[in-house]
Amino acid sequence: MTTSRAEPGDPPSGLPELDSVWRWPLEVGGVRLLTPVMAASGTFGFGTEVPLCDRRALGGMVCKGIFLTPRTGAPPPRIVETPSGMLNAIGLQGPGVETLIRDYAPLWATWEFPVLVNLNGETVEEYAELAARLDGVPGIAGLEVNISCPNVHRGGMLFGHDPQPAAAVTAAVRARTRLPVWVKLTPATGDIAAVARACEEAGADALCAVNTFLGMAFDAETGRPRLGFGTGGLSGPAIRPLAVYLAHRVAQAVRIPVIGIGGITCAEDALEFLLAGCRAVQVGTATFVDPNAIGRVVEGLRRRRLPPGHLSSIDACSRQDASSQR
Amino acid sequence: MLGFEAGPIAREVRAGQFVNLLLRPGPLLRRPFSVYRAEGEVVELVLKAVGEGTHRLLELHEGDRVSLLGPLGRGFTLDPSAGQVTLVSGGLGVAPMPLAARQARAMGLRVCWVHGAPTAADLCTEWEGDEVRWATEDGSFGTRGTALDAMPESPGQVLACGPLPMLSALAQRRPAAQVAVETVMGCGTGVCLGCAIPLASGGYDRACTEGPVYRADSIAWERLPAPTCRRGEA
Repeated sequence: MTTSRAEPGDPPSGLPELDSVWRWPLEVGGVRLLTPVMAASGTFGFGTEVPLCDRRALGGMVCKGIFLTPRTGAPPPRIVETPSGMLNAIGLQGPGVETLIRDYAPLWATWEFPVLVNLNGETVEEYAELAARLDGVPGIAGLEVNISCPNVHRGGMLFGHDPQPAAAVTAAVRARTRLPVWVKLTPATGDIAAVARACEEAGADALCAVNTFLGMAFDAETGRPRLGFGTGGLSGPAIRPLAVYLAHRVAQAVRIPVIGIGGITCAEDALEFLLAGCRAVQVGTATFVDPNAIGRVVEGLRRRRLPPGHLSSIDACSRQDASSQR
Repeated sequence: MLGFEAGPIAREVRAGQFVNLLLRPGPLLRRPFSVYRAEGEVVELVLKAVGEGTHRLLELHEGDRVSLLGPLGRGFTLDPSAGQVTLVSGGLGVAPMPLAARQARAMGLRVCWVHGAPTAADLCTEWEGDEVRWATEDGSFGTRGTALDAMPESPGQVLACGPLPMLSALAQRRPAAQVAVETVMGCGTGVCLGCAIPLASGGYDRACTEGPVYRADSIAWERLPAPTCRRGEA
């Protein structure tokens, strides 16, 4: 307990230590996370590329999005910095699932933290086939179904706009795997709570909220879009309040755990998502700036205090909202 | 020119490698800079004020701190049997050349440095090596034209850095030249896949990891857009 005078920006005082409320490791959506802070898909590669990162801080990792077959990705430029944010259109460049199973999964099987595979497809059947292919592969702790990538011409985000296709992908994956199934939601929907409930009813074990926001930037000199793909996904601190709101909406709408994502750079940012009702968070763009961003967030969380009973109050509030909206 | 005390980087860096610099307060992402010189514990970078970020860098005072990640990428590969090496730089493409000149001379290679700029006022006057040649597009100093027009007829091994049109023109004339490519970067460490370089053999690889130095004819130049940055944001 602390009695010192609070300065603006200080954590709330007189509150229990975070890890007395939040015991680590923790079980989230069928996956045993070592801390509540994970590496977000596309920002940690296959777990071998990030230097100078305190890997003991990693709650878990979601690997770069994978398709059944290799993909070359989008034409450059692929990245544009915008105020407090970053637009990207990488186009899910990647080696395909067979390389993942052969080269990376055996490595992951030797690591302490769990690795989830970010699943992508152009059709419902492609998602299902990927899920079946990965079922039972040692080293894979779960699947994160990506129905929210804005940077592909077919599939991806299109499945995440509405409850029905979102549920169809989730159910198809659920039917073909014994692994925990998480679904990563897009902000590009009129009613994220409805999409979230549809995924929950289709068998999702957890929901990740949210993927990048669709965005665009033009070059006034050339008159052309600044990204080779034309449009891209906005990430970074610029989206944080939008993401916290959507994560809160999702947490209120479902009983399964929610993993918060969107512009987290420090422990205070992560706390916002936890206070919004998330059970864990993922850090993305911040890792590009500081390879040890996750280490810093976890270190900060260890020293933070949370409002008393915040978990039970959020639990109660989400149950109530979920039942009133059904 | 800015010098930073960064012993581990200064001791390890090879010509053509870069550091990814973070300024706080400043832009969200790091910015890559070729290492200009490395002496003792100090790493030197060369930059021009093109936007808010570079302006702020140039206003740093002794004792201010930034974060440097590096050395990153694959630098130039010098061939000791080449006898001579010609360094071809355009504009800020001077950046990797002093290190290259020193490494080449240490291997017993003769070094000719050819440097070009739009006008005499834009020319970087520092040079190292055995011979220097200048070129300006307006003819105000040295050969009229680009650095390519001032290259010796028998250049030996060619290392180049500069604007994309200069490098792609060089690829036509000297396919085996090694070129250091400038591109937009995210992480600088191979994770984000943001610095994609289109390859002549198809697909892309990462300027930060497989590059930024390439054999000139291995790049699909027609698919590589010039780096753009909104005025005031660089």
